[in-house]
Amino acid sequence: MKNEAAYWIALAHLPKWGYGKINSLIVKFFHNEKITIEDFFNLPESVWSNKYQLDSMEISDVQKAKSELPNNAFFAENLFSQGYELIPITSPEYSKTLKQNLKVAHSPALLYVKGNKQLLHENSMAIVGSRAAEGKSLAFTDNMAKLATKDFKVVVSGFAKGVDKQALDSAIKYKGQSIIVLPQGITTFNSGFKTYYKQIVDGDVLVLSTFHPKAVWSAGLAMARNPIIYGLADEIFVAESSEKGGTWSGVMDGLRKGRKIYVRKPEPDEKNANILLIQKGAIAVDYNGIENAKSVYTEQSTTTSIVQEPMQNIKSF
Amino acid sequence: MTTRYEQENKLKQTFGLERFYDDQWESIDRILKGERVLLIEKTGFGKSLCFQYPATVFQGTTVIFSPLIALMRDQVKKLNSLGIAAKCINSEQTPEENTQIIEDAKSGKVKILYIAPERQENSEWIEATRQMNLSMVVIDEAHCISVWGHDFRPAFRRIINLVKLLPTGLPVLATTATATKKVETDIASQIGGNISVLRGNLLRENFKLYVVKVTSEDEKLIWLGQNLDKLEGTGILYTGTRVDTEIYSKWFEHLKLSTIGYNAGLDTDSRIAIENGLMSNKWKCVISTNALGMGIDKPDIRFIIHTQIPQSPIHYYQEIGRAGRDGKPSNVILFYNPEDKKLPEAFIEAGRPSILKYEKVINATRNEQLGERELMKKTNLKQTQIRVIKSDLVEQGIIREVTVGRRKLFEYITNAPALNTKVFEELRNTKKADLEQMIQYVETSQSRMKFLCDFLGDSTTHNFTNCDNTGLHKMTLHPNDEWMQKLQDFREDYFPNLEVAARGSNIVNGVAASYFGVSNVGAALHRSKYNTKEDFPDFLLKLCLKAYRKKFGQEKFDFIVYVPPTSSGDLVKNFATKLSQVLKFPITHDLVKTRQTKEQKVFENGYLKSDNVSGAFSFNNPGILAGKSILLVDDIFDSGSTIKELGKLFTNFGVIKIAPMVIARTIGGDIV
Repeated sequence: MKNEAAYWIALAHLPKWGYGKINSLIVKFFHNEKITIEDFFNLPESVWSNKYQLDSMEISDVQKAKSELPNNAFFAENLFSQGYELIPITSPEYSKTLKQNLKVAHSPALLYVKGNKQLLHENSMAIVGSRAAEGKSLAFTDNMAKLATKDFKVVVSGFAKGVDKQALDSAIKYKGQSIIVLPQGITTFNSGFKTYYKQIVDGDVLVLSTFHPKAVWSAGLAMARNPIIYGLADEIFVAESSEKGGTWSGVMDGLRKGRKIYVRKPEPDEKNANILLIQKGAIAVDYNGIENAKSVYTEQSTTTSIVQEPMQNIKSF
Repeated sequence: MTTRYEQENKLKQTFGLERFYDDQWESIDRILKGERVLLIEKTGFGKSLCFQYPATVFQGTTVIFSPLIALMRDQVKKLNSLGIAAKCINSEQTPEENTQIIEDAKSGKVKILYIAPERQENSEWIEATRQMNLSMVVIDEAHCISVWGHDFRPAFRRIINLVKLLPTGLPVLATTATATKKVETDIASQIGGNISVLRGNLLRENFKLYVVKVTSEDEKLIWLGQNLDKLEGTGILYTGTRVDTEIYSKWFEHLKLSTIGYNAGLDTDSRIAIENGLMSNKWKCVISTNALGMGIDKPDIRFIIHTQIPQSPIHYYQEIGRAGRDGKPSNVILFYNPEDKKLPEAFIEAGRPSILKYEKVINATRNEQLGERELMKKTNLKQTQIRVIKSDLVEQGIIREVTVGRRKLFEYITNAPALNTKVFEELRNTKKADLEQMIQYVETSQSRMKFLCDFLGDSTTHNFTNCDNTGLHKMTLHPNDEWMQKLQDFREDYFPNLEVAARGSNIVNGVAASYFGVSNVGAALHRSKYNTKEDFPDFLLKLCLKAYRKKFGQEKFDFIVYVPPTSSGDLVKNFATKLSQVLKFPITHDLVKTRQTKEQKVFENGYLKSDNVSGAFSFNNPGILAGKSILLVDDIFDSGSTIKELGKLFTNFGVIKIAPMVIARTIGGDIV
């Protein structure tokens, strides 16, 4: 696949196409027609239009992307020389977990990674939560990372402050393995590559991004990154969520996609939206990540007021 | 699709040429169709037209990777004179100039852009390539791609990676004048993508090939002294080392022959001035290491002389290939003293550092990203060694070189394979066999041209009569007492320069009485320092005084200062005292060490040598120094770190001139 990099970059970043549309095209040429991406780009426009049903706008998009292939080649060479690797969705190196969880509609066509790619094929656990989390949530995160490591599960996290960072640091502390899912392009993460150099060299960390390698951090990318974290994980644990923001919408998105999501059962005095998520269908777990649905629901009925308190807080905020 | 006829019409309009040669057209036709071509043709064939012409036909920009700055400059000048928008980006231009050219290329104002392969590591360039309209990629001197070639260059590795990523239909041309079958196959397989190989014949009938066997360096110097002026036209003399370029050019200067020395260590302006002088026949002969001439398009180089046997017939073919491009007779002379074998042998043997050193580098990079300088400090390895190791480890996929901001750092690759040392063995054996073939070239009694063609995989049945085995008279030696005396006079009148002058320091370039290993001076120093512990012998004092007068004439200094020793007692002090008595400059004993330093020779690289002496000296009575000049005396000059450190110290104390003088200057690799 390496030699096809210029083509994959062209296809993966077709403007405003979205994962679903790009993937259905890939399904057509790769699975149905059994031709390579290079062959696809070299087809005449008539075939794009007749066999692949691309309309004139779409054909013009593909033509433009095609004209940029030499430029992409220079760009890709530079990425490879910096140690970044490209994994297209058709590659056996692509995470099967991700594909199964996100399906054609939501799987990114191209992953940019650096580090131990094998981690994409291990059992995995995402630990997510609020940037502002502290105390019990961080202790829970630490404990879950410890348990994951004990079971040889890879910890997937999003490199935000709070829970994400705790999950990563704890996995490293317990000599476990981690996937960092970036809210930015992979070439803009130099300081991180310096900090986690040893872990990357030793094969304990994989850094992954689905965005254009030059993209800088933005709130939008941070949001778009969340489904990838969930998608890469076999199990999802939420340490703490407020009633809006990335964690909240990430969990809601996961629930919509039919994922099982475990949420730390909060203490009665906690001001967060964990209970609310449980009400929406997430599964309550204790400090050790053990499901104890009954007790949650019984407690829940008695703690309604507590659930509402943070809601009011959030609203007044 | 257009026909050859139509293309030749265009050729006439743009280049003023009537027609393509058939072989040229074959590759141009393929390139116009968007194919990949490896073109192996001898110097003078007209390879450049095979990419320059298509470049003018294509819509966008053609990028030409070339390792030779001189060639880029030369070709750009020519293209511009034809009204073709050609530019080059290289390290000899200012960053502002390069940036402007990159901007021009982005906005489509450049048809043909020459760049050095190293530029592929530059982020500004990479950023620009995202916006340029690229039409074709050319790899000039493509043999540099192959480790089996005579001039493998690691920077080409990235160019190959790039070419592999280029889309089908984008034409790629690789050209070289020198590739054996093995190199040809290697290049073709690396470039891939259905590449066609077009190979022409490589024989050069206008060469007159001679070998002159000698038994000493003196015989070479004398033969050249007697015969250089008798050779027709102007030419190039290649030596084995930089120091030899200096010695030969000083010898010719002594004989009042019109020559000049050239080496890669010169600054850009001097190099350009010499290249221009070569073009305009300013001197009878330019004396150079093989850094000069590759790609210089001078049609009438009438002779090429080697005082040192090259590593292989392919090196030799490449270097003599620069002679007689105009097809007129040209003399190609090789000196050979059986001793000369040692230098290429040493290159081959020392070409690869020990496995232990490789492991040092691997281990250092496992823990942190390191720059070259940090790596040298951490491993105590020489820069040259680090570079060989780095290149091998990159080749083997064990480390990579990444750019972080403006810095280049080495990092270990996750899941890297173990070091494969078999490759080194294989390369070394191949190189030894090639050197053996080079000696066979000297020893053969058959046609020398056929020997070279056979070696290059260019089997020919042509009957050659162009060497001293096949129709030409042998060249013979006639040393005599008169010439021996001339050589003796020269030796006593020639003193190596110490290049230490630097901005911000009042130190000036100094002088050494001799090179360490070239005469008996080194042996005498070594005996005093390590065996007898007696004062340096008086002949050294006389030689130093001669060197002093030659360099500084009747100039007077306010003080003589000597470098306090690390371990060898008062030898330098006593020597400086004697100098002071003869020159009648007062000596001061006030320069002292403030901390114990180690002997410089235990450090392999300049950074650690600098660290070792940095801040290690002080002067007891600095009040006497302001506005004064000093002659700074030491026994041996190696990296110059100590002398430069003292230059800074004395500059700070207000000394207006610091002139260093030493007994001997080492040549890289001397065991002191």
